[in-house]
Amino acid sequence: MNKEGTHRQSLIYQKEINVALVGNPNTGKTTIINALAGMNWHVGNWPGVTVEKKSASFNFQGRTINIFDLPGIYSLSPHNEEELIVRNHLLFERPDVVINVIDAANLERNLYLTIQLLEMEIPMVTAINMMDEAKKLSLEIDISKLADYLGCPVFPIVAVRKEGLHDLLIGAIEKVNVPNIPKVSYDIEIEKSIRMIFDFFTHMKNPRLSHYPKFWLALKIIEGDVAVFRDLALSAQSAIVYSTTKNLRQIYGEDLESHLVDMRHGLVSSLSHTVLKKTKVSKKNLTGKIDAIALNRFWGPFFFLVIMWLIFKITFDLSSPISDGLERFFFGPLHNVVDFILSPIGASEWIISLIKDGIIDGTGSVLSFVPSIFTMMFFISFLEGTGYMARAAFLMDRLMHSIGLHGKSFIPFLLGFGCNVPAIYATKTLESKRDKTLTALLIPFMSCGARLPIYIVFTSTFFPHSAAYVLLSLYLLGIVSAILTGYALRKTLFRQDASLFVMELPPYRWPMLSILWRQTWERGKHFLFKAGTYIVIISIVIWFLLHFPNGIEQKKDSFLGQLGTFVSPIFAPLGFGTWETSVSLISGMVAKETVISTMAEIYGLSEDNKKGNESREVKNQLKRAFTPLSAYSFMIFSLLYIPCMVALFSIRQELGSWKWSFLSIIIHGCAGWIISLTIYQGGRILGIS
Amino acid sequence: MTLAEMKPGQSGRIACVVGKGTIRRRLMDMGIICGVELKVLKVAPLNDPLEIKIKDYNIALRLEEARNILMEDVK
Repeated sequence: MNKEGTHRQSLIYQKEINVALVGNPNTGKTTIINALAGMNWHVGNWPGVTVEKKSASFNFQGRTINIFDLPGIYSLSPHNEEELIVRNHLLFERPDVVINVIDAANLERNLYLTIQLLEMEIPMVTAINMMDEAKKLSLEIDISKLADYLGCPVFPIVAVRKEGLHDLLIGAIEKVNVPNIPKVSYDIEIEKSIRMIFDFFTHMKNPRLSHYPKFWLALKIIEGDVAVFRDLALSAQSAIVYSTTKNLRQIYGEDLESHLVDMRHGLVSSLSHTVLKKTKVSKKNLTGKIDAIALNRFWGPFFFLVIMWLIFKITFDLSSPISDGLERFFFGPLHNVVDFILSPIGASEWIISLIKDGIIDGTGSVLSFVPSIFTMMFFISFLEGTGYMARAAFLMDRLMHSIGLHGKSFIPFLLGFGCNVPAIYATKTLESKRDKTLTALLIPFMSCGARLPIYIVFTSTFFPHSAAYVLLSLYLLGIVSAILTGYALRKTLFRQDASLFVMELPPYRWPMLSILWRQTWERGKHFLFKAGTYIVIISIVIWFLLHFPNGIEQKKDSFLGQLGTFVSPIFAPLGFGTWETSVSLISGMVAKETVISTMAEIYGLSEDNKKGNESREVKNQLKRAFTPLSAYSFMIFSLLYIPCMVALFSIRQELGSWKWSFLSIIIHGCAGWIISLTIYQGGRILGIS
Repeated sequence: MTLAEMKPGQSGRIACVVGKGTIRRRLMDMGIICGVELKVLKVAPLNDPLEIKIKDYNIALRLEEARNILMEDVK
């Protein structure tokens, strides 16, 4: 049987096909997945890293197609986390076929990656997307010539209109198990070196060798690729490297990596000139017009603030009523329903309380976060999809870089003032793991809305005439603490160099609403189900600690109360070492609003006033328990100490490991303690009281 | 003269790209290589970062990154 026959045979039997989408950012890979799989695509993380992964499975002509959207990349260098993810997936997971998605309007730059993909010899087809935009720019591409030069099939598509996708899929399936034979030729000297390296391969016994495509591996050895060297335990002095590249280094110098980069650019450049024709000069387009405002030195920041204000306002106006409604339903009718069902059948009081105060309230508190989280995530997806996110990062980078972070960190910080949880999820937009981790760890220093009730009660009690200034000082102290902690972290745990900023400003696009919905749901549901489960469990635990041992008279004697009494000496040097404050602070670990509501409960308010407002009774109690100085110290502490449980779970979710949540507990706990201590003792020394 | 010293509206050709390891590779991977023409479009408030137009796309980079790009024929 001839080769074609066996190939056709194997196609018939291959029921499941793995397809990888590879291409520059903003080439419409998500649009393609969305078009092919309907809305049935999912968002997860690449294993072991915090980079987002989109995948889908669907049926096509009797086969199951599993399609993966790999991170958008410009190259396959070993210097960048996302590029390494793509490389490793292609080399070691060996998808059955790769669809290289390129942008018709940026042919040359996109082809630079294509060339590198072809070097890998994996079965591949190329899809030229955005052909409609190319037409508008008066660009004509000779598709068949391009396919000829590349040595791989090329399919023009317009993903947003679902045009050309059928042919693309068929072409991709036909390519399965048909490896690419590199058609692109490099210069004579390189070919010589490659042949020498191939000779070495036949003698090498390294088991890792078989994992790599030979041609690609030879090129990497010439380039001195650090990842490959590490994996194969090679160095510049290894025989295979030194002797095979001697001639090249003599001609081109020691930096062969740059030489190959140049060479690829040269190839791609001449290729583009051959296949591309521009018939008209393009006028200033919409992107340029919008950027005239969005990136204007004065109007830019102004426009940015307006947009952020709008986002906050819409989120608040939209989600608050829903949150409040949910809470009212949970604390009201749902409680009543439980009473109604369980009391007549004689269920014991503690079971009723467990269900009401533990399970229902716990669930209620999770769900009350949901509207704001989903709304914020929608807006983040929207900003990303339009391309405005890059502009925001551009405007804010100077500020962020001065504290060692990236311009993209600004929006997460800003969101943190509303609620830390969506802010931590917003760190998704940061590409570098270092930036993402650092930002997520510092976000809890941004005083969120849940801490506001604490400030309101205490400032109205102790600082009625200078409330605004006190409030402002608290927020500023939070920001200053973030800057100082960031500095400390960068000198210790995060000593790696700051990431590069070099970033494309893509043309503005109107994102597909269906993709936005799907993205928002997919990202948000992780919070809903995963974090939600943990929070309900912990709420039950806290309920248990508060209500047992059974039959206690005072809150002080419950497990939680005993814990509070045990722990309270820690807070003594900060000015508030009582069991009441300890218990309130411990319960505040669940959600920061509970600090005040617990305090209200402890100081003997009735159940109806559970939300804790400025009733005279509370104020009098507080005045007996605190002095103005210790009140301020307490407010600082509640601002800075451990992020709420929900935020801790978000940190685990976004950064991929509990160790970061634990680190956050340590960092914020210590920061709160130290700064409160300084304020309180410092104040005492200065004679304030 | 480096790219960092150019002002919005100026254009020129890249003479060469210097810098250690990763930054140079990153710049080159984005298409910033010798012989290519570019134009400085805008700068952020406080003059950092800056936006350039190269081939058919726009790239933003910090001044400290732009210092690695040596220019010629600047107009």
